[in-house]
Amino acid sequence: MYTFPKNLYTDIRIEDVNYTEITYRNGELAENLRRNYMGAFIRIFDGNRWYYSSTTDIDNIQKEIDKLALMAKDNEEIMEHPIVKKFEVNRGEFLQFEGKGILKVDHKEKLALLNSYLPILESKEEVKMWRAVYLDKKITKEFYSSKGADLKFDYQTCSLAFRYSLNVDGKTLDSRYDKTDIYFDRLKGLENELEKRLNNDIEYVRHAKPVKPGKYTVIFAPVVAGVFAHESFGHKSEADFMIGDQTMMEEWPIGKRVGADTLSIVDTGQILGSGFVPFDDEGTKAKKTYLIKNGILTGRLHSATTAAALNEELTGNARALNFEYEPIVRMTTTYIEAGDKTKEELISEVKEGILVLDYNHGSGMSTFTIAPRISYMIRDGKIAEPVNISVISGNVMETLYEIDGISKEIEIISSSLGGCGKMEQFPLPIGNGGPYIRVKNVTVQ
Amino acid sequence: MIKEKYINRVKEISLNVVQTEVESVRKKDILKTGLRVYDKGYIGIAGGLGRVDEEELERRAIDNLSLKVPYPYNPSKELKKEVDYREDVLSDEDFVNEIDELLNILKDEFPDFTFSNKINITEVETRLVNSMGLDLGYKDRLVLGQLIIKEKASANVFDALALYIERQYRRELFLNIIRETLEAYRNPVKLPKEGKLPVIFMNYDITPVSKLIDELNGYKVGTGASLFKDFMGKMKFNENFTFYQSAEREDLLDAQFFDAEGVVNEGFKYALIENGRIVSPYTDKKTAHKFNLPLTGSASGEYDKVPSLSPRNYKIEASDKTLKELLNGQLAVAVVIASGGDFTADGVFGTPVQLAFLSNGERLIGRLPELKLSGELYSMFGEDFIGKSKDKSFLGQNALAINLDVKYL
Repeated sequence: MYTFPKNLYTDIRIEDVNYTEITYRNGELAENLRRNYMGAFIRIFDGNRWYYSSTTDIDNIQKEIDKLALMAKDNEEIMEHPIVKKFEVNRGEFLQFEGKGILKVDHKEKLALLNSYLPILESKEEVKMWRAVYLDKKITKEFYSSKGADLKFDYQTCSLAFRYSLNVDGKTLDSRYDKTDIYFDRLKGLENELEKRLNNDIEYVRHAKPVKPGKYTVIFAPVVAGVFAHESFGHKSEADFMIGDQTMMEEWPIGKRVGADTLSIVDTGQILGSGFVPFDDEGTKAKKTYLIKNGILTGRLHSATTAAALNEELTGNARALNFEYEPIVRMTTTYIEAGDKTKEELISEVKEGILVLDYNHGSGMSTFTIAPRISYMIRDGKIAEPVNISVISGNVMETLYEIDGISKEIEIISSSLGGCGKMEQFPLPIGNGGPYIRVKNVTVQ
Repeated sequence: MIKEKYINRVKEISLNVVQTEVESVRKKDILKTGLRVYDKGYIGIAGGLGRVDEEELERRAIDNLSLKVPYPYNPSKELKKEVDYREDVLSDEDFVNEIDELLNILKDEFPDFTFSNKINITEVETRLVNSMGLDLGYKDRLVLGQLIIKEKASANVFDALALYIERQYRRELFLNIIRETLEAYRNPVKLPKEGKLPVIFMNYDITPVSKLIDELNGYKVGTGASLFKDFMGKMKFNENFTFYQSAEREDLLDAQFFDAEGVVNEGFKYALIENGRIVSPYTDKKTAHKFNLPLTGSASGEYDKVPSLSPRNYKIEASDKTLKELLNGQLAVAVVIASGGDFTADGVFGTPVQLAFLSNGERLIGRLPELKLSGELYSMFGEDFIGKSKDKSFLGQNALAINLDVKYL
């Protein structure tokens, strides 16, 4: 199919993207987009440096390969290079969404689905500004390499996203309700959930008072626990931060205790949803990777480059935002495994603390942060008044030891409009989630 | 039927740096074309990547009128303007060689640190042309270096950051930003006190103004969801505080002088808050029309999407004072990395600061421990507002100075 340059490693990723976006703003149709495009990303490696090209000229990929190869240096030993040796060679067609594909759903049906939810938003006088969005994306990828990979696979998601600004007695709140799934039919019948969320938010904003800053025991709902896992430890597990760094290697040896013995964190591209990555953008098949198992550092996330550098196994985490970018180490679906308490038990054991039910955004370096959107005080083991919090934060490595309770319930959430940002590549769809988790000594502002 | 064409082209060379070595060279040249047609109060759009058949795009755009997306506003017309801010930069080959040399210098000068992430040269061209005599063109080219710095002995993912944004590549300027950062990094210092202190933010840091941008959204103001809904024309902030939408040449990022609807502001700027008084929210044609607000040219949109209201580039008007003069003998907390903070719905601000230095207004003099900052929207740009410096004495950028409550994390 393609003639690969001699004495160089080459791979090609071709993306065929179908995308739908329908948006209503305060009752008026603002966007009704059907988009289809193809793009390709070519990589050439000479053992010393990578050369990349991103192109929309699908008919001339061979020319682009040949042009790019001129920048690289001949290396007769390239196939023996540790990175090249790491690459998996997978072949075959893995098209899961041909029959149940989102492309089979008529555009009018998508429009009608979104329309069916609008009366709920329009019925609340406290909702001053709103946006209702239907999105779907089906991507078919082809991947070919000079080592022999020959893959074609697909994945899809569809989402409903409601964004609304409330004004209740002069007090305001920007909030949201999202649902993402892989099948269109599962976006139907969400009226009660949307209505309940709206009513709860209206009551929240009516009664919320500023929190008294300080250190608290905080219980994170699954959606918040997911972002906590992602920000607090997921990014630390991305092995590209460790390449050639002796201090990091010594600080993060596999087998080191890094958290409470009830804590296990997993990343996997195998779960259907927005973090579903059947093959990564280097052609590696999805795996399930324990980052932490029972409090012990058990694994990290790899591309072929990092796996070779650290002499560890591939995990299927080399991902690119789209055909304009090279794959780098990214999470897929990251979650905390379930514990043994009920949510009610976790709350009942707190004298004074905070329950965080939803968040606006999070970040993670040495310090993790979460900007909560919906939070309640816990007093004497019971959920009490709603509170406004600008940010909660803590030292990652100390906080993982402060987890003292994990619930049996677990929920995996797919991202809808947003995703994960790393350097220039944002937003990458991911999944995250977990149980309710209770963390002591969290700084609340 | 009115026809309009929107073209966006990005050419880029991007060097990825890993462990103070160029790990990869990425080239891209991506052309995106959108064809819009306006008829009987509706808009139809079709877009394509790379080489496109414009007649085919036009046919698809006309077909898409049946999707019934309302656009009962007059497209911009009878204005021709071309702006080309590009300056000479290195050829691709020379750029790669130069960055190899730069990294060798860094390895020699800072053997206890490693440097990673991207250094790019990005050229952007945008054009908006229609059958009503509109022909707007913008070309620009930026050198953008964003180096993540890690102390070899540190177990952190990264410890510092060096940002370079200019139209030309100047090795000494980039090196001096890194030198000043790392010399200060090597000198741990403490706060003069915990409590209210002058805090300075870099020109491009939107952390302190993010709430202003949210609440000045014209749709939010018009529908009554904004904190500022009753404050148009009212004096709410410091009389020295002016906040405006800008596409001036000096802005570097987001200097495109027209918006996605072809609106061009006089002098390429529009004041939203002027001398403490809220003048107007930002608006696109729909918002301005619907709520009878001034049109500020604040529509954005991808090549194949309907232009819609989006925040553009907002900045605080610089004072006539240097940072040293603004600080008036006080030391300031200079914020380099403050990630994850936010404002509450009612305007209370809080953020951790992962990397901050002490500044005397001329240079960074030492590295502070991790901090937390807090403030309140109306105070931050009211009695606690100190001003924006006229000079670029914060790592090559203008500095915004505000009194905030500062504590150790």
